[in-house]
Amino acid sequence: MKHVLVIGSGIAGLSCAINCAQKGMQVTMVSPFPSERAQSVLAAGGINAVTASCEVGDSVDSHIDDTLKGGCDIAGKEAVRGLCESAPDIIDWLKKNGTVFTTDADGNVSKRAFGGQSYRRSCFCGASTGKQIVTALVMEARGFEGTGRIKRRLWADFYSALIKDGECFGAVLYNEATRKPEAITADCVVIATGGQNALFGKTTGSTQCDGYVAGKLLTQGVELKNLEFIQYHPTTIETAQKRMLISEAVRGEGGRLYIEENGRRVYFMEDKYGERGNLMPRDIVSRCIEETGKQVYLDITFLGKEKILQKLPEVYELCKKYRGIDITKESIPVTPSVHFFMGGIAVKNNHETNIKNLYAIGECASIYHGANRLGGNSLLAAIYGGKVAANSIEQAESNDTPNDWSKELKEAEEKLRSLKGSKSPYPVKYIRDMLAETMQEDLGIVRDADKLQKGIDDVSFYLSVADKIRFDSSEMAYFGYSLKDILTLAKATLLCALSRKESRGAHYRSDCPAASDAYKAATIIRYDNGEFTTYLDTEDKYEN
Amino acid sequence: MRIKILRQMSPVTEPYWQEFEGDFAKDQSVAGMLDELNYKDDLFDVNGDPAPRIQWECSCLQGMCGACAMVINGRPALACEVFLRDIKGDTVVIEPLKKFATISDLVVDRGIIHQNLKKANVYIGEYEGADPKEYDHMYAAGKCLKCGLCLEVCPNYSDGSSFYGAAFANDCFLIASRSKSRKKAITKSYQKNFEQGCSKALSCVDVCPMKIPTLASIAKMNRR
Ligand SMILES: Cc1cc2nc3c(=O)[nH]c(=O)nc-3n(C[C@H](O)[C@H](O)[C@H](O)COP(=O)(O)OP(=O)(O)OC[C@H]3O[C@@H](n4cnc5c(N)ncnc54)[C@H](O)[C@@H]3O)c2cc1C
Ligand code: SF4
Ligand code: FES
Repeated sequence: MKHVLVIGSGIAGLSCAINCAQKGMQVTMVSPFPSERAQSVLAAGGINAVTASCEVGDSVDSHIDDTLKGGCDIAGKEAVRGLCESAPDIIDWLKKNGTVFTTDADGNVSKRAFGGQSYRRSCFCGASTGKQIVTALVMEARGFEGTGRIKRRLWADFYSALIKDGECFGAVLYNEATRKPEAITADCVVIATGGQNALFGKTTGSTQCDGYVAGKLLTQGVELKNLEFIQYHPTTIETAQKRMLISEAVRGEGGRLYIEENGRRVYFMEDKYGERGNLMPRDIVSRCIEETGKQVYLDITFLGKEKILQKLPEVYELCKKYRGIDITKESIPVTPSVHFFMGGIAVKNNHETNIKNLYAIGECASIYHGANRLGGNSLLAAIYGGKVAANSIEQAESNDTPNDWSKELKEAEEKLRSLKGSKSPYPVKYIRDMLAETMQEDLGIVRDADKLQKGIDDVSFYLSVADKIRFDSSEMAYFGYSLKDILTLAKATLLCALSRKESRGAHYRSDCPAASDAYKAATIIRYDNGEFTTYLDTEDKYEN
Repeated sequence: MRIKILRQMSPVTEPYWQEFEGDFAKDQSVAGMLDELNYKDDLFDVNGDPAPRIQWECSCLQGMCGACAMVINGRPALACEVFLRDIKGDTVVIEPLKKFATISDLVVDRGIIHQNLKKANVYIGEYEGADPKEYDHMYAAGKCLKCGLCLEVCPNYSDGSSFYGAAFANDCFLIASRSKSRKKAITKSYQKNFEQGCSKALSCVDVCPMKIPTLASIAKMNRR
């Protein structure tokens, strides 16, 4: 029986594990904490699909067109076609697994509008779509856990992949209970570890998404893709602990963005783009907010208390609880924040990386969203990716080559021992905070070559000292061993941004503000012995 | 502000109290405060002794994932949702949840919640379709964080070996209301592992951060 090792238990990991188990494979699903703690539970808005009860005029082709257009023509057409065509079946599958979708009077799944889409096609579950999907998939996986088909490994973190001659044979995990590394072999390994929030410190997402796995794999010969494309959500509120998303629904209900000038309100989005200016795509709104150089406010008070409580109860609660702001009486001070990563591990249409038997799915993989993601397409991609990977793994040859992994384990043990032995009071967090500051500053919404170069110099410096500093061993060992590869990923991201000398989607360069056909392809980056190389995938080698 | 924390280095070492002093904004949450405290240059307690960094669990930092459940001034709660402005007096006492084994400091092993659901095979199997009238209740139950706060406060829950607690009852309702193949078995398991042990103290309802109507789940399951 084929053994599949899935790293990560968010929506993507769950989808892959369930699909593999349904096909009779044996799955080990690894994550430090249970699925309920994954970032997937934060997804609120919806999941896109053109179902039988769609709006008049909508079609799968239109979903495909919107997705490709949103991605500024650098996402693979075939991959996107597969994604959009599967969407209606995925909604059915989710329903049967127990996802509590909001339905209309006829019992059809309700849909809401999301930016960048020609029709209303985001299916949703109240204001907690991601959470309801996680609940359903956890139940479905539980059925297979009962029979032993799926085994969960909690309190375990990815350490490295077991790779030999371009082929993957399993992974080294760090067992937090025994505080030791261990090797797990498998026929295929599927990475489903989410985005890379830690590069930027405070974001709208989870602290568990740190990008370590992508960074580590890069150093192990795995190619990464489109790292420069990072979606900033235009409306978030700053709280003492994180940036919290203020749903697009506020602007959907008529919310107006403004700045104050000489005691007067200036509705800068409406001045620039007319009546529907507040609903422009996320990257444009974020850029316009940045250009004001001022505190921007979002006003919805005119809707009246009753309507606000009825239509935007979560936003009302959130602002009141975390900032003491009553949105029925006051405007919301908003700032753009890092929200989603279009870039990640480069995968082919079957979700395999450039390393045989190593797959990547969900937000850590880069395939469907091109230069910008449409809201509601990432949950879809997380579930679809899991299904596609499972199909491909079913077809793959079994991998029974015996290998000796004692050298890899010994290396890991030594590294962990040196981290544990340190008496230094210096926390890893300090370098992580410096990194976040650098990335926020130099890889912001508006970039230029000088800033990017400065960022690269700074991160290179952190990298050069990361191995020399002795860190506080009372922090989690994972924090210590993940630092260097998080820095490596950050440097790779800045290098990708520097290499794309044009503006496209979420990547805006003030020194090259126009799009250029010469760059109408994905950026690929690889790493070899300390050297990074970027190139454009003009031959679409990943798109088939 | 004085912060008193029940600490424990590992599952097999003895717990001990340690106190810290610090100034924090009133709008800071207990989670944010722990983070700030942890990343002062060197961590020293009130006696000037160096202290290891405080271990605690977090993910969403906005009350949506259940990671940061702990006992704050005697009350089980999510640390990212308790604000210093609401703390009475100027001392915060923080302890790990006590009904679960401590891994280190405020990190506990809540795996038993999942093990019990797995043992009872709480999954849908053959889907029967749902009664639209049940939508609101199912949606509410679907929001359970598996945070364990309801188990912490329950006078009948001890270690999950026989009585499984409110989180279990809610998941049973989610299955029994929609599964063709598992309804009977789940109802039986519910009777054995919940109904027999529940004395309807209902402290689980008050403590639940997601305001899940556990009482309604119990009422519907008891009627089956
Ligand atoms: C506030 C917010 C709202 C959103 N709303 C929407 C929406 O409405 N619609 C939409 O389509 N998308 C939305 N998104 C995006 C969407 O939620 C994510 O893209 C998607 O959930 C990613 O799922 P995933 O399974 O890939 O990753 P995650 O859910 O992040 O799961 C990652 C898993 O990997 C594990 N992991 C991480 N590192 C390691 C390691 N080193 N070792 C082992 N395990 C590890 C984690 O513990 C976790 O289990 C939103 C995102 C945010 C932040
Ligand atoms: S029922 Fe409420 S308190 Fe209990 S685990 Fe679920 S969310 Fe937590
Ligand atoms: S960190 Fe998620 S609930 Fe507190």
